[in-house]
Order: sequence, then C-alpha cells, then structure tokens
Amino acid sequence: MPFHQGFARMRQRTGLLVGIAVLLAALVLAVVLASVLTQGKEDVSPKMLKWKDRGTTKNLQEVILGRCYNYVMARYPELGDKDCLKIWESLKHAFIYKNPCNTTTEDYQPLMELASHPIPCNKSLFWSKTNELVHRYTKSNQNFLTLEDTLLGYMADRVSWCGDPSAPGINYESCPKRSECESNPGSVFWKMASKMFAEAACGVVQVMLNGSVEAGAFRNSSIFGSIEIFNLNPDKVSAVHIWLMHDIGGPESESCSGHSIKRLKSILEERNFKITCEDNYRPVQLLQCVHNPDHTDCRLCTNTT
Amino acid sequence: KWKGEGTTKNLESIVIGRCYDYIRIVNPAVGEKNCSEIWEAFKNAFINKDPCSILPKDYELFINLSLHTIPPNKSLFWENNHLLVNAFAGRGRRYMSLADTLFGFFADFLNWCGQANSAGLDYESCPTTEECENNAVESFWRMASITYAQHSSGVIHVLLNGSSVGGAYPDPGFFADYEIPNLQKDKISKIVIWVVDDIEGPDIDSCGNYTVKELENRLKILGYDVTCTNNYK
Repeated sequence: MPFHQGFARMRQRTGLLVGIAVLLAALVLAVVLASVLTQGKEDVSPKMLKWKDRGTTKNLQEVILGRCYNYVMARYPELGDKDCLKIWESLKHAFIYKNPCNTTTEDYQPLMELASHPIPCNKSLFWSKTNELVHRYTKSNQNFLTLEDTLLGYMADRVSWCGDPSAPGINYESCPKRSECESNPGSVFWKMASKMFAEAACGVVQVMLNGSVEAGAFRNSSIFGSIEIFNLNPDKVSAVHIWLMHDIGGPESESCSGHSIKRLKSILEERNFKITCEDNYRPVQLLQCVHNPDHTDCRLCTNTT
Repeated sequence: KWKGEGTTKNLESIVIGRCYDYIRIVNPAVGEKNCSEIWEAFKNAFINKDPCSILPKDYELFINLSLHTIPPNKSLFWENNHLLVNAFAGRGRRYMSLADTLFGFFADFLNWCGQANSAGLDYESCPTTEECENNAVESFWRMASITYAQHSSGVIHVLLNGSSVGGAYPDPGFFADYEIPNLQKDKISKIVIWVVDDIEGPDIDSCGNYTVKELENRLKILGYDVTCTNNYK
C-alpha cells in the first residue's frame, strides 16, 4: 500500500508543477503583450495637442542662431554686443512646454528687450499686403527698413514655432491657426514686435500699400491698421508718406483719393501727423517693371517727363 | 600677418544656420541634407593647412554633400554686379544664381581661413588673392563656380556691367576661367548676354564692342547659339 500512496503523491506534485508553469507562462505572455501594445502608443505621443497650421520649423535653434549671428556679424556689425545664444534661449523659454493658446506678451518680454535695437530716423517702412514687393525694395535700397529688416523680424521671418505641455515641449507637427485661438505664439509675437517697431520710429515714416486689392488698400483689421498706426509717437514722428502701389497691368481698385486712404488720413491727422500720398511711387514701380518691361507703365521715357 | 580681413565671427553657427535655413525655408525642394556633415567637410578643406595651399578640389566632399539640381533655364551668371544680380534673381524664384544654390548661399559674403599646425580658424587676418592665389576663399568660389557651370542647362543668362572700367567681360575672371570652360555644351540650348550700365554711369562697353565682342566671339567659336542685348529692361 505505500507504493500506491507514493505514486499518487508524485502525480499530485507533477500536477501542481504543471499548473504553476502554465500560470507563469500566462503571466509572461501578458507582460510581453502589454509592453508591446503600450510601446506603440508612446511613439505616437497621444498627449500632444493637434492643430491646423504647420508645426514648428525643424532645426529652429540652428536657423534662429545662424540668422542672429548673420545679422549682427555680417549685416550690422554695429550691433556687436548682441548675445545670440541668450536671445535664442529667451525665445525658446517664451513657448516651450506651454499651452500654445495661452501665449502672453510677458512671455516675450525678455526676448523683445534683448533683441531690440534703435532704428535710424526717416528709415522706417511699414507695409500692408505688399510683402514681396516691399522686401525686394529694401533689399535693393538699404535706406529703408521694414520690421523684417530689424534683428527680431529677420530672425522670425517665415519661421513658425509653438510649444506643448508634454515632452519634448515643442510641437513640430502642428501649431494653432489664428482661427483656433488668437493668443498663439506667432500672432502674439508679431503683434508685439510690430508695436515696438512703430514705437521706435522717428522722423518721416513710409508705408507701402496695395491699391490692387479688392478689399481696399487700408484695412482697420490689418496689423498696420490696428497696431502700428496707433503706436507711432507724435513727439518723434513728423510725417507719414504713403506709397500706393498698383500691380503692373493689375486692377486699380484704389488710389490716393480712395475711401480707405481718406479714412487712414483722418486717423493720422487726428494724431497730428502730416500725411502725403503718392500713387505708384516711381522707384518702387521701377522694381515692378523689371518683371514687366514691355508694359506701357514701364516705358523709360514718358510724355510727362 | 596677412593683408585681408580675418574669418567672420561665429562662422560655424552662421553657415550651419544658413544650411538649415536653405533646406527648411528657402528651397525645401532640395530635400534632406546633413548640415553638420556639410560643415565638417567644408572646414576640413582648409583647417590645419598652410592658408596659401588650399586648392579647389579640397572642397570636393563639401560640394558632393551640398549639391542639388539646378532647374534648366534658370542659371544666371554675372560679373561686377553682385547686388544687382541678387535683387534681380529674386532669391531663386526667377533665376537661380550661384548665391541661390545651397553651396553658394552657404558662403555668400563671408570670409574664412585656417592656419598651419592648428585646428583653429584665423580670426585676425586672412591672405588676399594678391598675396596668394590658393587661399581658402578663392579656391572655394573657383570650385563653386566650376560646379555651378557644370550643372547648368537650357538657356543660360549672363549679366554684365557695361560701366565697368576695363570692360564688361573681365579676362581673367571667374566667368572666363572657371565657368565658360565648364559649361556642358550638349545640355545648353542658348546663351543670352545682357550688358547693363550703371544708372548715370558711363557706357564703357556694349554688345558687339570691346570685351563683350571678345566674349561673343569666344562663345560662338565654341559652338554656342549666342544673343546679346544692351541695357535689357
């Protein structure tokens, strides 16, 4: 009878061991499956917010640093005291790890202070709906400076950035459009930089407007119409010269006697600025003519000269 | 020590920044490039060497890494009108001058040189071309010009300055010595020359005259279809 008992005990022990082995195998399988499934999700960063506009420019740091040094060393060496690394850091801290719909002017204050520089009098050139033309003009005539020809504007032109509360703190996939939220990093930056650019202007200032736009050359909703004209300092700025440009061969939707120009004039006159307006300011028109040489407006000698 | 200006301050940050600026913003069509690798290849062309012993082929790896297609009919060659060309080319939109290519954009308006037995850049002074021809900057632009010419195709444009003392077509010059000899005849359909005088400047040279005539003859003998216009509007 001890034989039979021994046999039974052995079978019991084997059963137990098999049971334990099966349990262990199941546990291991469960752990492996769990890690595989969650790993896939982590790669996609489900926590980063999704927006409708293009994301942060890749290699933003290198681009900003390079542009800062290029501007200071190669273009305006008089600004030699600018610390480009500090400037980059202050830009980064303005948006990194922050919700991009809560951007404030305080976020950009350190950057604005570090990167601002004085603008010579009579050289400020404002613009609205004439982006390509105005910058071709300042490239060929260094006597005028748009915001994009100052250090701040030069660094930020055509570049985009925004943060996100989850790691790595910068959203390279997408950034909020103005329609999604007004207080986004880009809009707040440009509004602030435009305000400062207007505040820094002195002497005679110029503005290049587009007389071929259907909606009117001067619009209250533009940055020029809503921020810049209201931040010109009447104690520093004596006069505003308007250059109203038409596309060569394009519609003449408005001229210096037009409605929106009259509105602009009255706003400026109320603030005690002298105003002049010129249709198709010739030096700029000549630049347009480079690409439309056969148009009648581009003849070298006109009957009136 | 040398008569020329030293290396541009923060050269490395400037050129790496320009490289990324070019591939991300100016011309993303060129695709992905490794800007750190490009900088290393650029630097190794002249670092730790006698600054008068740099040859165009020392930049070969740099060129290979930064090369990209130049669209046909967009090449714009020039002499003595650097700023005009930049304004006219419209940053690659109308034409793609050498400065609108990645390898040209990288170095435009900058200065650099190294020193023998030292891994550092010389920020104090650099040799001028008068002091020695085989200097880092001269050899760079020779290599860049050769490459630019080799990869140009279709209708080629040349913008010359008719008010230049000594003539619009300088010989010796970059166009004469490094670009014309490297044009690929079978890829080029026509060469269009524009001779433009400075506003209120003297009319020293023009089509069919003086040095421009030499250029026209040289190109015709080489078998190119050549046209020339004065003061192209």
